[in-house]
Amino acid sequence: MSYSGAVPTARSRAMVRETRHLLFTVAPGAFWIFIFLVLPSAYLMGVAFMTNGPYGLPQMPLSLDAFERLAGVGFLGWSPGNLYTLLRSLWQTLVSTVLVVIVAYPVAYYITTCREKWRPILLLLVVVPSWTNQVIRAFGWMNLLAPGTPLSSLAESLGLVAPNMGLYPSNLAVTLGLVYNFLPFMVLPLYAAFEKLDTAQVQAAQDLYASPVRAFWHAVFPQTLPGLLAGTVLVAIPAFGMYVIPELLGGGKGMMLGNLVANQFAGSSNWPLGAAGAILMLIATFIGLFAMRRIGKRLGGGEEVVI
Amino acid sequence: MRKRTLARGLAGIWWVTLFFLYAPLFVIVLFSFNSANSTAVFENFSLAWYRRLFGNEQIINAFGNSLVLAVSSSIIALVIGCLIGYGMYRHRHRKLGWLIVLIYLPIVLPDIVFGISEMTFFVQIHDWTGLLQPGLGTMIIAHVTFQIPFVALIVYSRFVGLDPTLFEAAKDLYASPIKRVVHFMVPTIKPALISAFFLSFTLSIDDFVISFFTAGPESATLPIYIWSAIKKGVTPEINAIATLMIGAVAMAAIFSMLFNRQGRR
Amino acid sequence: MVGGKNITETPPHQRSVNTVFQSYALFPHLSVRENLAFGLKMRGMPAAERHTKVDEIADFIKLGDLVDRHVDQLSGGQRQRIALARALICEPDVLLLDEPLSALDAGLRSQLQVELLRVQKRLGMTFVFVTHDQQEAMVMSDRIAVLNGGTIQQVGAPREVYERPVNAFVARFMGHDNLYTISARKSDRLITALGELTAEDAGNGELLLIRPETLDLLPGAVEGPNHLTATVAERLYRGSHAEFRLAIGNTTLQATVNNRGRHLPEVGETVTVAVAPEDLVTLHE
Repeated sequence: MSYSGAVPTARSRAMVRETRHLLFTVAPGAFWIFIFLVLPSAYLMGVAFMTNGPYGLPQMPLSLDAFERLAGVGFLGWSPGNLYTLLRSLWQTLVSTVLVVIVAYPVAYYITTCREKWRPILLLLVVVPSWTNQVIRAFGWMNLLAPGTPLSSLAESLGLVAPNMGLYPSNLAVTLGLVYNFLPFMVLPLYAAFEKLDTAQVQAAQDLYASPVRAFWHAVFPQTLPGLLAGTVLVAIPAFGMYVIPELLGGGKGMMLGNLVANQFAGSSNWPLGAAGAILMLIATFIGLFAMRRIGKRLGGGEEVVI
Repeated sequence: MRKRTLARGLAGIWWVTLFFLYAPLFVIVLFSFNSANSTAVFENFSLAWYRRLFGNEQIINAFGNSLVLAVSSSIIALVIGCLIGYGMYRHRHRKLGWLIVLIYLPIVLPDIVFGISEMTFFVQIHDWTGLLQPGLGTMIIAHVTFQIPFVALIVYSRFVGLDPTLFEAAKDLYASPIKRVVHFMVPTIKPALISAFFLSFTLSIDDFVISFFTAGPESATLPIYIWSAIKKGVTPEINAIATLMIGAVAMAAIFSMLFNRQGRR
Repeated sequence: MVGGKNITETPPHQRSVNTVFQSYALFPHLSVRENLAFGLKMRGMPAAERHTKVDEIADFIKLGDLVDRHVDQLSGGQRQRIALARALICEPDVLLLDEPLSALDAGLRSQLQVELLRVQKRLGMTFVFVTHDQQEAMVMSDRIAVLNGGTIQQVGAPREVYERPVNAFVARFMGHDNLYTISARKSDRLITALGELTAEDAGNGELLLIRPETLDLLPGAVEGPNHLTATVAERLYRGSHAEFRLAIGNTTLQATVNNRGRHLPEVGETVTVAVAPEDLVTLHE
């Protein structure tokens, strides 16, 4: 009897053994993530192209209704509500990211100027609040900004808000909540960048340029760019999809994309519309990651940026 | 002269930021001891809200759910994540790009998309088969899914930090494949296993969005309970639970600081 | 083949071979005692017995007081010795030492070379010592096997391999540079770029090897059999000896001369190189 197949050599047997080992170790987790995340996400994307049925559940036939609804086309003609929500999400993300940078930059620098043995403790002080549940943190701000609290009274007496309205719920409260939530994510990478700062370059710059502002701009800032970029990824992407903070601090007029999406699966059910919003969020996430990778590579700090 | 102004300015910004970071937490703790039913005016010190807390069966249940969820999901994720971490290490010279993408997916996916994907999927499967009734089971599945990558990455980086000849040495000293796992690999990566477990546990306890969408009517966790309590109307009772949770976090912070110091020695 | 058995197909954990690794590969999560006992434990020896064996071996390598330390509290030399003891304790048929000393500095290295030799003599165990350093190979071995790309080139006693290498690879590996192509031969008279030389045992190789330390340098031009006239192109004075690069026609020849306080030729001086016929070896490429 003759076999046309190759005779198994010691080498090919070892290959088979290694492949079996790879499957044995990696398969359970890979299958888990595939079944419980890849398939569900794929299904969700499919739902976006289905029609909204009674009780908000998806139905055949396939259509682009959900995307039209997302763009504001309804039974009563076009309304700008969803578009406002989208723009508000972008605006809140932008403003809170910029504010986070403005606060985190000096804070991270301040920590590097402290004695070495204090630095881990100072960093811990910045990080610890973010270990508490985000619902509790948002609730803390509700307590602080509610009508009748000292902060709200101050704002009222300055004429910033209408009497007895309080600072929350409002868009301002959402911005505050976002800054509060994401500040540590910016401080940590910036701190890492500052710690690696090449002080020789800074001294050279101080010799070469007359003003400290120019020295900063030419010697310090470029060196912290990779950290800044990493921080921006860590802040802007989750901020854009934030659900808890606008829900608790924003009220009806503070809604962001996350709330629009979530609501389609709770009260005012419309799964296809929610799924379409989720696709939008995914696109934004991947564009963000992709852009940061590209810029990161150009800066040479690629590895740090890829989280 | 100018330098000193800069240093003072920085210190000022630091203290203001610290105040900003801790003020909301402080207010929660303070008003949890308020005798009045108000979160704006502090009247007298009182433990009344805590007494009410321990009589509230829903809260005790939610606390139990949180613990069961965190412990069981962390154990499952530890086993699965460890296997992946080791597989990634052993086969690191192969092209495993697809695996890396798969592992990073749960990390980069926005919480809300993660949560609703799971929810729609579970609901659909339940419709077709009657399996996966929303409840603790579905929550555990969802939590394991986002914990696996963290465990895998921690274990992988621990293995990468080892001298590769250690594996040869274990074989050389008569350890059979099973004994290699029991007497060499597991003890060697023990610190990584401990920190992976605690990270998984913290991620699970801390999660709200994904739990919220995968929970059933009987399986509310503490954050979900707090959420619905807030939605019903703010009461100082919420301050009391929140204070307990903040206390737990503060303890964890102190422990991690001490643990870190010992680790460095 | 170990003890007459082919072990290629036996998995490593069932072979009676133990290894001392270049990086020592001591288990970082175990104490020195647990490291030493690892192999015994894997083979199922009871704890009490392991304990006495560990104490014995620790005394044997004179590190008894280190046994209860942690691995990361040891110096390089101590780790090396523990790695050796960890392999020896299993009493293998063959001990494999994979460049065990290459991570140590020169002084410690030669000290441990002597120590290893003593251990080996006392135990009478077969040591397979892998090294890239031919000096170390010659010091440590009874027999040397020179490998190139996985195939054995020559096996023999150190003197044999050094003085009678079978091919150019072995010769170069043992540090020989004076290799010349034989362009023609008349019985035992070999013609090379250096000139005509007579060898006692001309063999049939196409390369001629002249070892630098076998050469005598005579001042001036002296006629005679196997005498070559040369000019000193370079001199490296090394205290105990001096190395010369000599120009003969268009080629050069290396010579090493012991410094016995006599005249050492200067650069540019004309000298005569006397070659003993019995020191010439021919070999294949």
